[in-house]
This record gives sequence, C-alpha cells and structure tokens, in this order.
Amino acid sequence: MTMIRRLRSVPVTYRVPAIVALLMVVISAVISEHVLDRLSRTQEGYLNGLAETYLDGLSSAVIPSVLRGDVWEVFDALDRSKSSYAALSPVETVVTGSDGRILAATDPTRMATFSQLPDSYLSRYGPGVVTIDESALTGFAKRDLIYQGQPVGTIHATFDVSRLFAERREILFTLLVTNGLLAVLFSLGGFLIVRQMIAPMRVLENHMRSAAHGAAEPISPGEIPAGDSEVAGLFRGYNTLVHAERERANFAMQLAEEEKLSSLGRLASGMAHEINNPLGGLFNALDTLKTHGETPGVRDTSISLIERGLAGIRDVVEAALATYRPERSQRPLSADDLNDVRLLLKPELRRKRQRLDWHIVWNELRELPIRGGPVRQAVLNLLLNASTITPDGGSISLKADGSGNHLKIEIGDQGPGIPADIAGILVDSDPGPAVRAGRGLGLWMVRRVVDDLGGSVAIAAKRDGGTTVTLTIPFERESTKAYAA
Amino acid sequence: MTGLARQCVRQGNPPSRRALLKGALAGAASLAFHTNASAEDVAFKFGLTPVFLSNDLELLGHLQTFLSSKLGGPVELVTRRTYQEITALLVSGEIHSAWICGYPYVQFKANLDLVATPVWLGRPLYQSYLIASADCVVEDWTGLKGDVHAFSDPDSNSGFLVTRTLLAKNKLLPEAFFSRNFFTYGHRNVVRAVAAGLAQSGSVDGYVYEVMRQTEPDLIRQTRIVRQSEWLGFPPVASPKSLASDVRVKALQQALVSMKDDTEGKKVLDLLRLDGFLATAPSLFDTIAAEVEIVRQFG
Repeated sequence: MTMIRRLRSVPVTYRVPAIVALLMVVISAVISEHVLDRLSRTQEGYLNGLAETYLDGLSSAVIPSVLRGDVWEVFDALDRSKSSYAALSPVETVVTGSDGRILAATDPTRMATFSQLPDSYLSRYGPGVVTIDESALTGFAKRDLIYQGQPVGTIHATFDVSRLFAERREILFTLLVTNGLLAVLFSLGGFLIVRQMIAPMRVLENHMRSAAHGAAEPISPGEIPAGDSEVAGLFRGYNTLVHAERERANFAMQLAEEEKLSSLGRLASGMAHEINNPLGGLFNALDTLKTHGETPGVRDTSISLIERGLAGIRDVVEAALATYRPERSQRPLSADDLNDVRLLLKPELRRKRQRLDWHIVWNELRELPIRGGPVRQAVLNLLLNASTITPDGGSISLKADGSGNHLKIEIGDQGPGIPADIAGILVDSDPGPAVRAGRGLGLWMVRRVVDDLGGSVAIAAKRDGGTTVTLTIPFERESTKAYAA
Repeated sequence: MTGLARQCVRQGNPPSRRALLKGALAGAASLAFHTNASAEDVAFKFGLTPVFLSNDLELLGHLQTFLSSKLGGPVELVTRRTYQEITALLVSGEIHSAWICGYPYVQFKANLDLVATPVWLGRPLYQSYLIASADCVVEDWTGLKGDVHAFSDPDSNSGFLVTRTLLAKNKLLPEAFFSRNFFTYGHRNVVRAVAAGLAQSGSVDGYVYEVMRQTEPDLIRQTRIVRQSEWLGFPPVASPKSLASDVRVKALQQALVSMKDDTEGKKVLDLLRLDGFLATAPSLFDTIAAEVEIVRQFG
C-alpha cells in the first residue's frame, strides 16, 4: 500500500516512463525466457542430429576394423573424422572392443590403447542422445557397435558444447542490450511525451498558484495550444473563470465603495444636522450681539453661546476627521475613540429616536495596545447596522470591556436577527461565499478589520429579542510589552 | 576383369580420378578385345606397395603418364592395402610388374625377376629405423621393451623384418619384447601412430621417414630415431619370371633406368626424392635373405 502511495506521489512525468521501463523489463524477461528456451531446444535438436550423424558415420567406418581388432584402422578413422565433423567439435572419441578395452582413442596419450576404459565413461550418460555437462561445457554420447545382432564394441564420444552456451550467452546479451536500449528509448519517449502533454497543466498550475496569491491572470491567447482542443477548452474555461472572478471582485469593490459612501452620506447628513442645529442659535446670538452688543451681560452670554456652539461643531468635525483620515488610524485605541463614535452616531439616533445604552469598562491605561482606527470603523459600522435594523424609538447598546488582556465589545440591537448567510460573513472561517453573493458589505468590512487585528466575532440572539454581536480583539504583543514597560 | 572391379572397391588408398578413369578405360578396352587381342593390347598392370608414398595422388598421375608413354600402351596402376596382396598378384602373374619390398622379393626370388632398383642418395640402398615419440628418453633399442609397437606390414623388410631380426639375434620375439604390437600397413601410418601416441615406438622405412622429414616436418618432429639399421637393398621393381618374354617388361626396365633423363620421369623422381633407377644384381638383397634366415632359424 505504502509502495503504491509512494509511487502515486511521484510526478506523472517520471511515473509514466518508470512504468514503461518496468513493463519493458517484464516483457523483455518473458521474451528472453521464451527465446532462450526455444534456442536451447533447437540447439539440443541440432546437437543430437549432429551427434547421431557423427556416430552413424563413425560406426560404419570402424565396425570392420573393430571386428578385426585393427587398432590402426580404428585410430585412422577417428583421426580423419576429426576434420570431417568440425561443426560438432568432437573433443575425444574412444572406441572400445567387446571386452571393454580401448581399441583406439583420438588422443592415445590420454586414453592408451589396450587399457581398460575408466568407469566414469560408463556412468556419464543420461537418457537423451547427448548428455550435457554444463559445468564442463561438454556433451557425451555413446553408440554400441552391433554386427549381426552381436555387440562388438562401443563408441564413446565427448563434444565441446561451449559454442552452444556461448551462442546462448551472446543471444541473451543481445536481447538484454536491445531490450535495455528499447526500455531507455521508450522511457525517454514517454518522459518527453508526458512532459509535452502536461506542459499546459503546468501553465494552468502556475496561473492558479499566482491566483491563490491574489493575482489571477488570464492565460494569454498565445499560450493556448491551437491543435489541442481539450487543453484549449480547459484554458478558455479557466480564463472565463478569471474574468468572472474579476468582474465579481470589481462589483464587490464597487458595492463596498457605495456602502462606504452611503454610510458616509448618512453620517454627513447627521453631521450637517449637528452643525446646523447650533448654527440657528449661533446666528441668533450674532443678531443679539449686533443689536444688544453693548450690553455687557447680553454680550458675554451671546459670546459664550457662540463659543459652545462652535466647540460642538469642532467636536463633530474632529470626530469625523479621526474616523476617515487613515493617518490617524494607526494610533492606539483610547476611550475617546469610542466616544467619537458615539458622537458621530448621535444624529442618526436622534433621527430614529433611538436610545443608546453605553457602558464602557476601561483599564488603568488610557490607551489600549490595539490600533484605534480600524476598531472605530468596525464599531461605527456595527452600530449603524444595529440602528438600521432596530425599529424607530427602540434602543441599541454598546458594552466595551478593556480591563483584561483583550478588548471585548458587545453591540446589541432590537432587530429581527441576522440571516444565517449574512451572519456567515462575520463568523464563518471562509466568508467568501456570502461576500460573493454581494450582500452585507458593511459586515464584510467589519470582518476584515477583525481578521486584520487577529480577533474573532460571535453572534448571539438576545433573550428579549434582538441580537448581540461580540467582538473579541486581543492586545498586540509587542505593544503589550511596550505598555507594560 | 573382375579383378579390376575389385580393385576400385578394395583399394586402401584410392588413386586419382584420372587414374581411375584410365584404369576403367583400359579395362573396358581389354574387355572388348579380349578374344582376339594380342598380349600387348592388354593394359600393362603395374603394382604399387605402400612402401611407396601412396598418399600422393599427383605422383600416381605422373607415373602413369610416364609409363604409358614409354611402354606405348595403356598402363594400369594397381594398389592394394597390404604388401601381401600385391606380392600375391605379382607372383601369380596377375600383374605385369610391381614395386615390392626386398623381403617378399627374397621370399619369392625363384618366381621373380628384378627389373630395376631405385637409387636413393646415390646408392640403391636404404635403412630401417626404430622410432619413438620425441619426448621418449631411451639409450638404445632395448629401452623400447614393454612398448606398444607399431609395425608397418608383416611383408615389409624395413617395417617388420629388420626389427624382427634384431630381436631374433637377441633371442627375443616381438610378442615377448613389446607389450602389444599392431600393423598399420603403411610406413607413414607408423610415423603417425608414434607421433599421436597410439604406439610408443615403431618400425619404419628410413627412406620414407627421411622424405617425410621434408614433406611433413611437423609430424617427424614429434618422433625421434632410436636405432638405424645397416644399409639394405632398396625395395625393387620386380616382374614374374612367367612374363620374362613380355617385351613391355624389358621396356619397363629401360624406361625406369632412363627415367632421370625424361621430363615426366624427372617429375616422378623429384616427387619421390629418388635419384633414379638401376638394373641391379639379385645379390643386392643377400643381406635381407640373411635376415630371413636368422628369423627362420630362431623360429
């Protein structure tokens, strides 16, 4: 199993050639086995035929001489047969008489005439015509000499069969080399073909990899192979996907921008209200000054009135600037940030005659080690949302607790509850599907802020109706240390 | 004619195709003209014993050409495996003449006429050698005791009688002195048998041995001479006394004696490494006759 798994983990570019090579090895082994088996049978048949011919020829030549016990004639026949049967490579031939004594041998110095034939010669024969001793590379054959039905002697022949084995070795070697070369060629061919085949996949893989890092680029038309319709289809499909994704992202961005603008518009109108309210008073005060400016009491009262009106306007403008100026967003969070949000929200609350329950527990530090800008933005969005879904005259709430080693902010409303798919934007591990649906862009901005700060969001239904959204944002480590110091 | 047919079948060493063809033609001719043909029309039959270098077919061709031209008629060369067969054919008058050994000549002296004797190294003489394998270390011939011994032919002087006489002089019989002995029916075969180790020693014609030293030095190098006999009468060409009147026998003698002056004859002599032929007196073979006598007396 692990072997197969390991094999599967090998890239297909190498796996296919390896399998081809393996197959070639198996095929070549089977073929070699068959060829050698066939060859060995052919050789055996050939050798048997030659040996039979040799023994036939020799026995007819020597029988008369054996009958006469004519040593020389037997030897002469053996000597002449050496050159006549070169194809058989006879090494030694011994002719014995009926008494088992040697009449003549091709090498009389080894097998002396008139001596007794060694017993090893009698016991060396197997059932076939030629018995082969592979270790000594020799073959043995014998033929009884029969004259008028009577045995008159025997021919014992020894052949050199090394040529047969050399031929087998040579053929085995040729087979191995040929098949080895073929295996290498096929493997190489397989490697090149597979590489050629999966090259478009590489292109696709690279595009997908870069897409994963945020830069989804369509495959250029030049890279789409004209002949390969399957790959071309795949590439075009991918390009369609990229284009669709881009459009969706653009659309989402546009929506987010619109959302931002709309909330900005709401805030701006609220702010205009907030500025407009004291303006009437301010103008009245100015008229009073013009008319009764000489009266010290009236003048002081009017100036004081104008001062307070302008201070109110300044606070609103400063809060708006703090929220929407990015350079200020890197400052650590302080209770003032939350108070600014409250200030910005005030016109909206007043418009809808809503009440805000405000409860903040702060620790001894004035500023928390959390970037203030994003938190303000997120809290503002959540409160605006809460206000939107809470009926007119209802109440919304904010509880902030920064006393521990993290900041916990609970925002409550009296709305009908958040639909599950939109809630997913805040709580799911992958907010993608809900965002792609083009809904809850305000919440998506919250989610981005929370993720950015390494925090988490929880949504719970309140017992008395409405919903609580809880943000938990940890303190930044380095900052914690810095503050601790 | 049946003899002719037998000859083709039973020849120990077949002659050249040309010789066979000529023999067959001669036989056919004699068959056709047998009834009213004169003696001269019958092919002249010349027998050859294995003393002669019978493996040389080229030589047979030249010899036949030479003899045919000199005798003015067809010549048939007759070869047999043993001396005995040729001697029997010669003594019985079946063949007109034959190159035989000194030993059968001495045995059948009463029935045979000497035609001519070859001259080798300037003399009509030769020796018998006792040979052993080259790596055999013996002081003299007595060291060969207990060997397997190869003789050439029981009717050969140099290949049997000389050794037999040597042993007889020492009160020994071949069967007792050698552990085993066998005949190879050819001097060259004796050399081969000793060189191959089939026999440890052999009795061989010194002339054949010396010629082989030039023609087959590799074979000779595997052997060494243990003993050389005294010089003896060279194997002669003889004819039956019954054919003494045949003019072709006289012509044969003339042809042999003058052989060295003839182109074709010179080729034959060169191949045989002989100087020529001489008409010699029967007394040349008295030494062989003496040997026969010694062997006969010993038993």
